[in-house]
Amino acid sequence: MIVFEDVSLVYPNGVHALSDINLTVGRGEFLFLVGGTGQGKSSLLRCIYREVKPTTGDVTVADERLSAMKNGQVPLLRRKVGVVFQDFKLLRGKTVWENVAYALQVTGASSRDIVRRVPRALELVGIAHKSKVFPHELSGGEQQRTGIARALVNNPLILLCDEPTGNLDPETSAEIMALLARINSKGTTVMVATHNQASVDRMRRRVVRLVHGRIAHDEERGRYHIGLG
Amino acid sequence: MDWGKARFFWGEVAQNFTRNLTMALTAIGTVAVTIVVLGIFLFARSSFNVVMNAVVKQVDISVYLKNEATAVDIDAMMRKLRADPRIDGVRFVSKQEALEQMRRELRGQVNLSLINSNPLPNAFVVHTVEPTDVPVVATELESNPSVALVNYGSSTTEKLLRVRQVLSAIGLGIIVLLLFATALIVYNTIRLTVYARQHEISIMQLVGATNWTIRWPFVFEGVLTGLIGALIGVAVLWPAYRAFAPKLALNLPFLPLDLAAVPIGSLALELVAIGTVIGMLGSWLSVSRYLKSA
Repeated sequence: MIVFEDVSLVYPNGVHALSDINLTVGRGEFLFLVGGTGQGKSSLLRCIYREVKPTTGDVTVADERLSAMKNGQVPLLRRKVGVVFQDFKLLRGKTVWENVAYALQVTGASSRDIVRRVPRALELVGIAHKSKVFPHELSGGEQQRTGIARALVNNPLILLCDEPTGNLDPETSAEIMALLARINSKGTTVMVATHNQASVDRMRRRVVRLVHGRIAHDEERGRYHIGLG
Repeated sequence: MDWGKARFFWGEVAQNFTRNLTMALTAIGTVAVTIVVLGIFLFARSSFNVVMNAVVKQVDISVYLKNEATAVDIDAMMRKLRADPRIDGVRFVSKQEALEQMRRELRGQVNLSLINSNPLPNAFVVHTVEPTDVPVVATELESNPSVALVNYGSSTTEKLLRVRQVLSAIGLGIIVLLLFATALIVYNTIRLTVYARQHEISIMQLVGATNWTIRWPFVFEGVLTGLIGALIGVAVLWPAYRAFAPKLALNLPFLPLDLAAVPIGSLALELVAIGTVIGMLGSWLSVSRYLKSA
């Protein structure tokens, strides 16, 4: 589903974000990306939804080589890849319902489709009862559920989560992680960059650790501290 | 476009407008103010052109004929001048008429009984459609064998034409500068409104909106901003024009300012068009800055 081949990424300011990344993520897999701040977790995810282009090497997502992809195709890629952020990135001026519907509207979905799919996504993440509420009236956990619903409403093949629980208390974090696991169980490939040790250790999924932009460890059913002695 | 999509588009435009009302009003106000300044200048330039044209139009060519020229020669010449498309007025002034005219003008200043012969020649007074044709037509007439002398106040006329040309070029230069400044100010104001929504634009891109999906509501909003701003500007200028223009003409009686000749309607249309186009281009350029892909 996602293949990194010898990927290196150097930002224009000279920072080496990623070096020699080789990574294959299979369809329906659930993967934790761990490592300290600035070790390259976000950069790796950004390569997948083509927010950045690797300096060398190639990324393939759902059988598409991103290096050969024209800028005009990027929106189509983004509809196959849902992204969830630490700061939720919701549109402040729109209600929960509108935020989720927006992801469908920009793809030119028909109103019938929207009316059918938005409630389903809201039900799935458990926020349907707040659909008419604006983001600033929600708790952090509820905002993140809305963000996840928006990422899912297009039925993406892949769900990328960049520190999804970074702003949430432990209990809410555990709920969000459980939600991600449930989404994964329905067949969506999920990659989660996180510092949430408790969840990683409890869930025992594949864990990839990045150190200085390189893959230091990659282990099935891993723990948060793999590769740290 | 199905009904839902149209509603989405208009909803986006309306939401952008109302949720960023202060910004929208700032942009509209900026357009209105610049349109007023531009409008005053365009009016001044237009009026100046009317005055200048009127002044230059007064220039006649006096063609004095030789005494040998017969009635037949004069008739032939008259017909030839009348047929010339560059010429819109030909008047024959005979020796007698010229003398009487001189007598009228000199009455009381000279002892007219001293004049007992008529030294004045027969003459034509010729008027051209285009003032710029005056020197050309004059030169042509000079080569006619029946003509003794051609006079059109050559140095004065040429200076007048030259002055008109230079002032016209300066006016155009100022208009271009003013347009540029207007465009720049409006562009910057709109850029602020787009900048305030940078966050939204990046989210739109993240959820897979194409650049056009993002751009259209902004461009349309720019058109509305420019149009409303320009209409307000014109709405301010119009009563001001109605109140002051007649006084202007009244207070400058020595200037042949014919207000009816100033194309005030098309000036207003021009201003509205300029405002709209500037608003559209302003948004287009502003939003394009934030649509760069990786």
